[in-house]
Amino acid sequence: MSRRASRKVLVIHCHPSHEGFISTALSQVLTGLGTIGADVLVHDLYREEFVPELSASEHRAHREPGVANELAEYADDLRWCDTLVLVYPTWWSGQPAMLKGWIDRVWACGVAWELPDGAGRLRSRLRNVRRIVVVTSHGSSKLVNSLQGEGGKRTVMRSLRTMCHPLTRTHWLAFYGVDTASSDRRTRFLDALPDRIERIVS
Amino acid sequence: MYAAVVLAHPNPDAFAHELARRAVTGLSAAGHEVELVDLYAIGFRAAMTASEREAYHGDRPILDPVVQRQADLVRSVDALVFVYPTWWSGLPAILKGWLERVMVPGVGFRFDERSGKVRPGLTNVSHLVGISTYGSPRWFVRAVNDNGRRTLLRALRLACGRGTSCRWFAMYGIDTSSTNGRTEFAARVERELSELR
Repeated sequence: MSRRASRKVLVIHCHPSHEGFISTALSQVLTGLGTIGADVLVHDLYREEFVPELSASEHRAHREPGVANELAEYADDLRWCDTLVLVYPTWWSGQPAMLKGWIDRVWACGVAWELPDGAGRLRSRLRNVRRIVVVTSHGSSKLVNSLQGEGGKRTVMRSLRTMCHPLTRTHWLAFYGVDTASSDRRTRFLDALPDRIERIVS
Repeated sequence: MYAAVVLAHPNPDAFAHELARRAVTGLSAAGHEVELVDLYAIGFRAAMTASEREAYHGDRPILDPVVQRQADLVRSVDALVFVYPTWWSGLPAILKGWLERVMVPGVGFRFDERSGKVRPGLTNVSHLVGISTYGSPRWFVRAVNDNGRRTLLRALRLACGRGTSCRWFAMYGIDTSSTNGRTEFAARVERELSELR
């Protein structure tokens, strides 16, 4: 156990299947978090049947504070955590639609940002978030991902981070070329995850 | 030419819907046949399902007739036009899900059996066009990067043929824009698309 107050960690897991690389990565992440005695909340977006499409009424109210009623818990958990961990596969160079929908709908006005009258730009509201960790797999190589622009990485490291604490640190734990990787390379990445998470979060 | 206009905005009163109509008008004026796909109106589901994920690398990766209809469409068009609001610097979930579920192996790309490398599948598409509205001003979009645009003009562009031309229409600062600014932008979209050959 850490001598400090324990970390409050929100883990967002997004993969339709409960076997394979990403779900193993999730359990390794949880192992690492368990070692340091962190307070952990996990949302498994597929298991919880999260609805990713932002609705017309949400859009009409998007300048008013708050989220749709059914999303209150997601918003509360986001405001509670000091560490946000996203575990997902990178598809088409970004977050899967399911996870993008969580961002579109939960990172709403009054939760992630506000736009005071007369202000020219958004103000961040997630000052509680001091650390963002991404664990993701890419089907293609790092080279192909660079050519495609690493849009998903930028969405997290720049867009999301802007709404968090100004000193928020970001950590990108990515496995490239998962489609063609040897099982050795996969195992090495997965085996190292608990320690890496422990070092980052503790 | 045959063109598909893919629209991803939940609110029929939103400017994006106006832009999609103007895109259709412009393309039709050029003599092209146009199909408008309003993803919210057709009830498109964004999330790839567990069974779709399982079938992804098999012979029949598409399981949903709504998705099949989209796959048939993208394989038959010469121009793909996307109209969407940029949210969190990227595509709205419904459009991201359209890419994930429609652009499966055999449609958007194929795996070369010998090398295992990804090969383009959309060699029929000769024009890729994006029309997007942004809440942020231009400098901010530049600073955080325009990830929706990157996804379409880089990742999806790589799925098209070598000669595919790309065009982008960006309306920045939509929330603070004037009626005049929007009218001019919509007129430009219509005019330039009416010149697409």
